[in-house]
Amino acid sequence: MTQATPLLSLRLSVDYPDKPSVLRNLSLEMYHGETLGLIGQSGSGKSTLALAILRLLHLHRGEPRGEIWFQGRNLVDRSEREMRSVRGRELGLVLQSPLSALNPALRIDTQLEEAWRAHAEGSRDAARKTILETMSSVSLPAERSFLRRYPSQLSVGQAQRVLIALAILHRPALLIADEPTSALDVITQSEILQLFQRLNREFGIAILYISHDLLSVASLCHRIAILYDGEIVECAPPSQIFGAPQHSYTQKLVAALPRGPFLDFHNDKLGSPASIADEDECAERSAKLSPR
Amino acid sequence: MKFLRQTAAVFLVAIFIATLFAGILAPAPYARQFRESPNALPSRIHLLGTDELGRDLFSRLLYGSRVSLLLAPAASLLATIIAALVGGVAGYVGGWIERIALAGTDLSMSLPWLFLLLTVRAVLPLNLPPAASLLITFGLLGFFGWAASARVICAGARGLRNSDFVLQAKACGCSSQRVLLQQVLPNLRPVLYAQFLISIPVFILTEANLGILGLGVSEPLPSWGGLLRGLENWSAVQANPARLAPLVLLFVVVSCFQLVMPQEDFAS
Repeated sequence: MTQATPLLSLRLSVDYPDKPSVLRNLSLEMYHGETLGLIGQSGSGKSTLALAILRLLHLHRGEPRGEIWFQGRNLVDRSEREMRSVRGRELGLVLQSPLSALNPALRIDTQLEEAWRAHAEGSRDAARKTILETMSSVSLPAERSFLRRYPSQLSVGQAQRVLIALAILHRPALLIADEPTSALDVITQSEILQLFQRLNREFGIAILYISHDLLSVASLCHRIAILYDGEIVECAPPSQIFGAPQHSYTQKLVAALPRGPFLDFHNDKLGSPASIADEDECAERSAKLSPR
Repeated sequence: MKFLRQTAAVFLVAIFIATLFAGILAPAPYARQFRESPNALPSRIHLLGTDELGRDLFSRLLYGSRVSLLLAPAASLLATIIAALVGGVAGYVGGWIERIALAGTDLSMSLPWLFLLLTVRAVLPLNLPPAASLLITFGLLGFFGWAASARVICAGARGLRNSDFVLQAKACGCSSQRVLLQQVLPNLRPVLYAQFLISIPVFILTEANLGILGLGVSEPLPSWGGLLRGLENWSAVQANPARLAPLVLLFVVVSCFQLVMPQEDFAS
């Protein structure tokens, strides 16, 4: 966990057969234990980036070029077999729509057990133990009756937590969350955001939080990267993004936030990760995490 | 509709059980010839009468139903397994494998397969022992009858290939084979079940077709096809209308299968 080596460092271009240059030489660095928000409009290539890091872009017929350094290895050179041992164990993914990302035909314990078996061997009891621990760390009832349910028997919020449990089962170093709250109502959304914050603090899991919602990202992330036209046009702590946005697209984004007597997000107060209780700790962390 | 479905299911189960216990229920072995009373009319001794050789028609119907009702599902199972392998893998893997598999199924579907069956069956010796002819008949049905099911299953698997949960399972580090077996296959179960059920009456009728032409299960072992062949002798049917029993039973059983099939599967 040295300051010098980033957890993830990538330089990437991606083409689709019918849509070239979705990402154009995009470069991004993330550090251990950091939460980085990635903001961009729909179709700007946010999900493409998530899949490219996991080397799963071929499923959507994308062709990535470049390099992805993760924990000292270039993932681009890895064989599919090696990638399989990275996915789920060191890199976790949470998708946007919890109800379609869970298999409707399988009970949730079967799905969790499948994910456990992908990287661990052992008895059913050992699997169950890890699963129950993970269930309680995502604030779901660690009960057998709950685990026997099918995804259709869960609320959207519960399903999203199950999805997060799937992704953190093996305590990955980096969790990629692709718009994990955009399908949720505001209250559930804030609960899920708090959960991400807790996972980051308790387990030191770095989180790449992809969203189009600047406000939710601001409350969670140490730094915010703005993706525009296939490139990262600005990457800075929330205070700077909100206080002194540099790029014209960022300025537009900030200007588009709701204004009103009760709604003033345009000051510096909200710029820091507001919900992290201890302001000092927060400052200390961003100092440690800041690459420069 | 629900009442009809239940009645049909009860009827099918009853027939199935009756054929299973044919050995106990049948008044005589299927090959026993009552030489003193050929072409007998229905009576208390011979419920449906006897044929030209004096064999008890009721016993032959019971044993013949057993052959058709046990082997048509077996052939259907074989066909569904082949269809699941070809269609499931093709749809899930996609790309050139899918194209080749679909070309294969198209080719197989474009063949007039009743004629193909006839040809293949005619190439094989006709004087096979009954048990061997039985296995060959239904083996052939299974091996030739998978194509239509494979297309349906392929379409189902293709839809699942790009689903979010397959992506999520892969992102969890599951291997492709494991995803196919553990994630995709359980979602195909309703389709497989429907294809299995749909194929049964098809195979019953195909066996009957072959049997009428004398290419099915060989004598003296009865099957519905073989029993229907007895209807060729129209004057005998006029003399004893109870000889139509196999035809009626065939009609009723195939109709019952159509009724029992889950209606919602027809939408997909």
